[in-house]
Amino acid sequence: MNATPPEAAQDLERRLKAFLAARLDGARDIHIANLAPITAGNARQTWEFEARWVGGEGERKVGCVMLRKAEAGQLETDLAPEFRTVRALWDSGVPVARALWIDEEGIWLERPSFIMEKVAGTTDLLPLLKPEGAALSRAIAQQLVVVAARLHTLDWRKLGVDFLPFATPETAAAQQVSYWRALFLKHRMEPHPVMVAAFVWLREHQPITRRISIVHGDFRLGNVLYEEDRINAMLDWEMVHLGDPVEDIAWAYRSLWGPQTFPLDEFVSRYTELSGIQVDPATLLFYRLLGEVKHSIISLTGARSFMDGRTRNLFLADRASTITAYLQQFLDWLPA
Amino acid sequence: MTKPSIGDLLAGVASSLREAVLPEIPAGPTRRQIQVAISIIRRASQAWDKVGPYFYADNKDIEETLRHVSALMDRAKSDDAGLKLLGQKMLTALDRRSGAELEYPSPAALSARNVQLQGLLVELQEALHAPSARDFAERTEILGMLRALFRRMLARELEVNAPVTATK
Repeated sequence: MNATPPEAAQDLERRLKAFLAARLDGARDIHIANLAPITAGNARQTWEFEARWVGGEGERKVGCVMLRKAEAGQLETDLAPEFRTVRALWDSGVPVARALWIDEEGIWLERPSFIMEKVAGTTDLLPLLKPEGAALSRAIAQQLVVVAARLHTLDWRKLGVDFLPFATPETAAAQQVSYWRALFLKHRMEPHPVMVAAFVWLREHQPITRRISIVHGDFRLGNVLYEEDRINAMLDWEMVHLGDPVEDIAWAYRSLWGPQTFPLDEFVSRYTELSGIQVDPATLLFYRLLGEVKHSIISLTGARSFMDGRTRNLFLADRASTITAYLQQFLDWLPA
Repeated sequence: MTKPSIGDLLAGVASSLREAVLPEIPAGPTRRQIQVAISIIRRASQAWDKVGPYFYADNKDIEETLRHVSALMDRAKSDDAGLKLLGQKMLTALDRRSGAELEYPSPAALSARNVQLQGLLVELQEALHAPSARDFAERTEILGMLRALFRRMLARELEVNAPVTATK
């Protein structure tokens, strides 16, 4: 993860022009301006730029954000399901950026990438965590629950997201446990008996979900794009899947980043009021425990990518050191 | 060993980088990478001198727990062939001299022993959760001992391995 040399940016600009020429039928005078990396986020490379062209409807100008798959990182996901889900969610009542174009194989843009329309706002979490930001944090969290209720009550069959792996009420939890366990076995650098114990517990206590919903998978304040006290978009859909909606609530309330100004029980009560979905306390606990394990595996994957030399991003180098605290939280929450 | 110790040296390097080098680097991705590198060096400086004692204490604790578990397994006289085999394997591993039992074992020997003991803990859990072990009388007691051990292991590791960053 080096600073971007000017020639790399120029090359990317050339690639973007060619890509847009192929995507925009009949467009001419395509210009790319203000291309620059956006610095937030460890998982993928994010760039912003402005695209201008002349087409059948005259001159168009669109502010864009491009997500590029990193060489290696802390998640092993394909961009296509994320892109297609965000596209399906446009106009659904769930705030998302407009998904524009995808280069699924990285044929044009060197790496798999997709481009969305830029949405105004910030993802800066710090103002929400400061004591003086309590009112703002609560206002955003109150909208977060509305977003969750809307997302989880969408009819995913009608929305056409059947490209996401199918899950049933009986398999939803098991699928998540299996997915993260497979990554653990692939990336662990030692036997790790505590993690093994965690997976054993999760395997033996999988709940049956009451409904299958679209689950964001990384649903939290840090993935909210907000402007003043309004949520403009939910970002980072790379872990989206079909599953138990309670999983998103549990993840939003990890002790590391849960909104203190809007306590979990208040969130759950409002969520049920808005969505009609009852949140079973045992299911919520299961997904909170899964969340600690999931974040551990994400950290482990990042650390392994660095140790294997598949990334030089120093943000990932020491990520494994965070796992101990997550597993301690797991044991603290574990029923006697 | 000639002073400064490796821990002191790393702490000094982290301070120099932070105070003398970092201010010269303009804001941007390179500066952020240097900041992370400094945090890692600082953490390594704090952990350096604790690694040997940590592994020594961790290995001792795991070995003692596994000896108790072996005794319980022996006392229970389980018919489960897998558990019997594992009990023997654990005793052999606990009795084997691996270099970590020397008066002044190297951190590398202690680390290797730790990985070996971790492996036994994984095997033990797999055996206890196998369908054939469900009726094993001492199972609940052993699982309780393991959970208590895991708590001690994590607490011990956190004393050495406090993270420098905790954000996703």
